[in-house]
Amino acid sequence: MPASSPAHADNAILVVDNITMRFDTSEGAVFAVDDVSFDVKPGEFLSVIGPSGCGKSTLFNVIGGLLGNYQGAVSVTGETISGPHKSIGMVFQEESTFPWRSVTDNVAFPLELIGMPKETRIERAKHFIGLVGLAGFENRYPGELSGGMRQRVSLARTLASEPKILLMDEPFAALDEQTRLLLGDKVLQIQQQLKQTTLLITHNITEAVQMSDRILVMTYRPGKVKRIVNIDLPRPRTSEIVSSEAFGRYVAQIWSDLREEASRGMRDEDAQALHHKGASA
Amino acid sequence: MTASARSQRSAARDYAPAVTGFGMLVAFLLLMELLVQTGLVNRFIVPPPSEIIASFGRVIVEEHVFSRFVLTLTECLTAGVMLTIFGVAGGVIMHRFQLLQQACETWVAAMASAPIVLMYPLFLVIFGRNSWTIIMMGFISALPPVILKTIEGISGTRRVLVNVGRSFNLTGQQQFWKILFPAALPNIFVGIRLGLIFALINIVGVEFLINYGGLGQLINDLAERYDLPGTYAAICFVILVSVLFFMTLEKIERWLRPID
Amino acid sequence: MAETDRLRKAALSVPMINQVTLLRVAIILSLLAIWEFLSHSGWLYRDVVPSLLSIGHALLGLLSSPSYYFNLGVTAAEVATALAIGGASGIAFGVVLGANRFLARAYEPYLYYLGPTPKIIFFPILIMWFGVGPESKIALGTLSCFFPVALSVAAGMRAIDKVLIRVGISFRANPWQMAMKIYLPAMRHPIINGIRLGLGVALIGTLLAETKLSNKGIGFLIIQAYSIFDMPRTYAMLIVLFVLAIGANGLVGRLGGLHGIKQQ
Repeated sequence: MPASSPAHADNAILVVDNITMRFDTSEGAVFAVDDVSFDVKPGEFLSVIGPSGCGKSTLFNVIGGLLGNYQGAVSVTGETISGPHKSIGMVFQEESTFPWRSVTDNVAFPLELIGMPKETRIERAKHFIGLVGLAGFENRYPGELSGGMRQRVSLARTLASEPKILLMDEPFAALDEQTRLLLGDKVLQIQQQLKQTTLLITHNITEAVQMSDRILVMTYRPGKVKRIVNIDLPRPRTSEIVSSEAFGRYVAQIWSDLREEASRGMRDEDAQALHHKGASA
Repeated sequence: MTASARSQRSAARDYAPAVTGFGMLVAFLLLMELLVQTGLVNRFIVPPPSEIIASFGRVIVEEHVFSRFVLTLTECLTAGVMLTIFGVAGGVIMHRFQLLQQACETWVAAMASAPIVLMYPLFLVIFGRNSWTIIMMGFISALPPVILKTIEGISGTRRVLVNVGRSFNLTGQQQFWKILFPAALPNIFVGIRLGLIFALINIVGVEFLINYGGLGQLINDLAERYDLPGTYAAICFVILVSVLFFMTLEKIERWLRPID
Repeated sequence: MAETDRLRKAALSVPMINQVTLLRVAIILSLLAIWEFLSHSGWLYRDVVPSLLSIGHALLGLLSSPSYYFNLGVTAAEVATALAIGGASGIAFGVVLGANRFLARAYEPYLYYLGPTPKIIFFPILIMWFGVGPESKIALGTLSCFFPVALSVAAGMRAIDKVLIRVGISFRANPWQMAMKIYLPAMRHPIINGIRLGLGVALIGTLLAETKLSNKGIGFLIIQAYSIFDMPRTYAMLIVLFVLAIGANGLVGRLGGLHGIKQQ
């Protein structure tokens, strides 16, 4: 049963209120997320971390307005959302650049949709292309770029729509560790420069601690908020912070929470696999 | 929901589309029957489906449909054998001599999209008005895809398999017969299947056009005799044969392809 | 330093290109030589293999006769109309089938299995419905090219990377924007390939119909030349036809951004 609405900060720009999402499967009802509530303050960098199966992607799709059929409400600057909201910009985990458009045309896509005149939108696109460090690649096509560069194009495209809230779902999951650290640096730099409110869904603890002001740890299915950790590392931050002591302590703390949940997840999955084998034997 | 109730529901879900499709067909035939019987559609242009179905029996017996079917099938199989031999050999030779492949592959690809069957008057002159025109027409028009698929299959052999052969010091011949050719077989079968389909289409088409042969000629004959229900029936029959031929080829190909 | 590198690269590349071109020229010349030899040998019946000169003559006569261009225009118009109607309806059906799983499972098998059937056999029926004029030829061409286009487009719809659609939704694109800026560009390869295939079969269907029953068009001219046993003219017309057909195929491919004639 959902508890009564918790108190939300007055200046919260994003309010997630008692979100419960259930799926009906052949084995009965499954709750992807159960009674999840939290705020995001303007300019804040909040990461949501959890084991596989904790419902993080469900949460991402709910906040992004791509999923309906849930209980509870999500509101942006006081307005309850009922679909993709214009103040929320999404960056997906998979390759999502349009292969038939150049980098500039990819980044200008949201501006094209709202009817911005061509010159203005090309200039605006150029600005964001430079911001993600791809100046000079304006006329290239995604096929000519590396994976990391393509993710930067996707990021620039979402930033170009100047959303109040940037919502990212494991955008660096497919990249190697070094690229990930450097891109993380880039995102941090941009976020600090633009004072962009950011909500990052991830499974990578280092990434979360490196970039966030607060981290929300989720339990294994049904996903609930297990703990909210304040990350009191000084800003501005760079990837060098990963070697500091305080950093290590935060990582250890979050890992102990996560390990508990991840083990529950593994036991659950093994049990399911055995159950299926037994049923078909 | 109980397990049996659930499986009943999913069975219904599985068959629903097929039933819908078939039901649509039946509904269409009933509609046509109604339209023609009431005179809304001229029965001398579209005979009522009931008459068409009724003429099936007559056509099959009087027009010797079975022996015609055998004739068309024989022509197809002859063309098919020629296709396989020359098409695969052609592809192998072209792969063996890289220069030849580089020179000629685009020509063969161009031929694949060219209206080869339009040469049938030419073949009539060269071979005369008999089965050989039909067979050669089927053979030539279906050759390009077989050659192209053979080349594709052999060239597309994974590098690592080739290296395995080299690590065992296989000779060129052994390399080809033990590694390249078997690896290419799936693609070669696809090519032969494509070729056989092209061959059937062109063989039946040419039979119709030159008014000689088996099933294709039957349609032309019935049309020229203004036997309307018979013409429709014959066309239905040819479509049936063509669909069954296609399905059989698919089954054979799937049976021959052990892994994929 | 850079100069010598460039020259070395140029020297290495020339022989390769030359070899292929040399072989091609050699093949063509030897085929022509064999042809000419057969033509004068008297082994084959009369004009079955006419001399290259007579074919060349006929070609010139063809290309300089206004009636040829008239008939070319008739055929081209028929094919273009067939492609337009068959292509448009094929795309429409393909989009619907690709978008809706249930409809696809209900109806696509019919398209799939009826596709590889000889459409020329429908010609007698089409004559009854549309008469002996160009309409029946267009109808046959339309019937021929509908299937490959519909099947290509349906497959193309299903192959679209789903994340691209989510990007569009996340940016709140309206249905028209989704169709024009995401669905259509994402399907450009299957659509172009479908149209190339459609063009090929529409051409064949229309021409075969013209050879069967017509008094205009290239197909009619071919069968006419055959009936008076004017072999050089028949060969000349076939040559021009093949050149045009292959050229049109390559053009569509090039327009679609594909390179070369091989299917991608």
